[in-house]
Amino acid sequence: MAERVASALVWAMYAYVACGAIFAACFVTRGVQRIDSQARHAGFTFRLLIFPGVAALWPLLAHRWIDAQAEPPIGENPRQ
Amino acid sequence: MPKLNLPSVRIPANDSASSPTPPAHFHLARRLAALVLLGGNSRAASHAGGRLILSWRSPIRASAAGLRRVASVSQNYTAVSWNAQKRAYDLALATGMLLYITTFLALGAWLHPTATAETLLIRALGSCAFLSLNVILCIGPLCRLDARFLPLLYNRRHLGVATFLLGLAHGAFSLFQFHALGDADPFISLLTANRNFASLADFPFQPLGFFALIILFLMAATSHDFWLRNLTPSVWKLLHMLVYFAYALLVAHVTLGLLQSERSPWLVAAMVASIALVLTLHLAATLKEKKIDQAAHEKDAGNFVAACRVNEIPEKFAKVISVHGERVAIFKYDGKISALSNVCRHQNGPLGEGKIIDGCVTCPWHGYQYLPETGASPPPFTEKVCTFRTKLVDGLIWLDPTPLPPGTPVEASKVQTA
Repeated sequence: MAERVASALVWAMYAYVACGAIFAACFVTRGVQRIDSQARHAGFTFRLLIFPGVAALWPLLAHRWIDAQAEPPIGENPRQ
Repeated sequence: MPKLNLPSVRIPANDSASSPTPPAHFHLARRLAALVLLGGNSRAASHAGGRLILSWRSPIRASAAGLRRVASVSQNYTAVSWNAQKRAYDLALATGMLLYITTFLALGAWLHPTATAETLLIRALGSCAFLSLNVILCIGPLCRLDARFLPLLYNRRHLGVATFLLGLAHGAFSLFQFHALGDADPFISLLTANRNFASLADFPFQPLGFFALIILFLMAATSHDFWLRNLTPSVWKLLHMLVYFAYALLVAHVTLGLLQSERSPWLVAAMVASIALVLTLHLAATLKEKKIDQAAHEKDAGNFVAACRVNEIPEKFAKVISVHGERVAIFKYDGKISALSNVCRHQNGPLGEGKIIDGCVTCPWHGYQYLPETGASPPPFTEKVCTFRTKLVDGLIWLDPTPLPPGTPVEASKVQTA
């Protein structure tokens, strides 16, 4: 039972990471400048640097890219 | 209750690129930054005793290369904003870590001649990562307790990423050594090989380290201003507060791991001491801040509250007061008094612990700057914080605790000189 649960979790993780890696490859080359104007002229190293984070948080960025949100959301600083 | 943190403004892209001539302030800032970078005896350097040299970043964006970039295309992400201080910090960091690992391996081989090189390397990397995490967690409260520790805060981001990389190396070696040589998938083996949850002495401690490493990965992967902007400061901060959960997991991981392989009382004592240090520093910093937050303020007939006396604030510095649970930084400069939100737009740094440099309130964490009378960053930058109305009566500063929208100009109160 425990092995079956662990196996399901691990394979779900593999699938998530694989989807994330494919998405990240497209996003850092074409998508990032569409959702954040400050990335328009960003170099290769910056794109490489954000790759792991994009692969990990890809649903969030995919949602913004699909929604064609041209700028990051307006955020509030938390209380200090 | 007034809310200090009003919605921020969107940051337009490359707004300075459209302006062929940067404003005068920008030239002055560049000149100052160049002085700092070249080791010149600038005002910033002499006033801060080295503190602000290390924290000078945006809007000057610190490095010489950065200055050129800002002049041509502003507000663009760079991979790493290197400058002389960051290089020195990173060099010291890498040297320290390398020295620790080498010493650990040499001592380990001498004290435990039967231990394999792989085991020693796994322990060296893991203990170095855990030690670094302890240092990281101590830096924040240390800076809140004493401003002289602020240089440690600068570039803490690189220390965090280095800690994750050490942890990753430790995890990768361990996974290979203990779980990759069998038939089962290494991750499935990691999660299921040991199921002695009821035994403290044989508890499966490795999955705890794995889950902590996932958190550290998320933090390291989002340690760039791109993520701060795109996740929004509150979500970003929430994500990075998970470091405390990761720390708890790692404490359990290391303690249970130690119990299974070591009997040395020194190691247990060192472990307890490191945890006690982290907890004590956090407690001390919390108590200090609680004192500020709980201070009572007299009210006048209007909405103003008595903040402090003018002579309590050193020239070009601030006094932080807390009204209705919100912190306000009251600055004194050039015979004037202005009040701003204490929260920097960048990483929520404490503006009140910074100082006025070149006419701007400068955040001690990363050098983000704001004009004291408007709360707005000087062009070409567009960050804005809330401002507050003040008035001066017989040397006593009165503050209207209602925050004005970020960037709202407020006339500074004039200090009467005898």
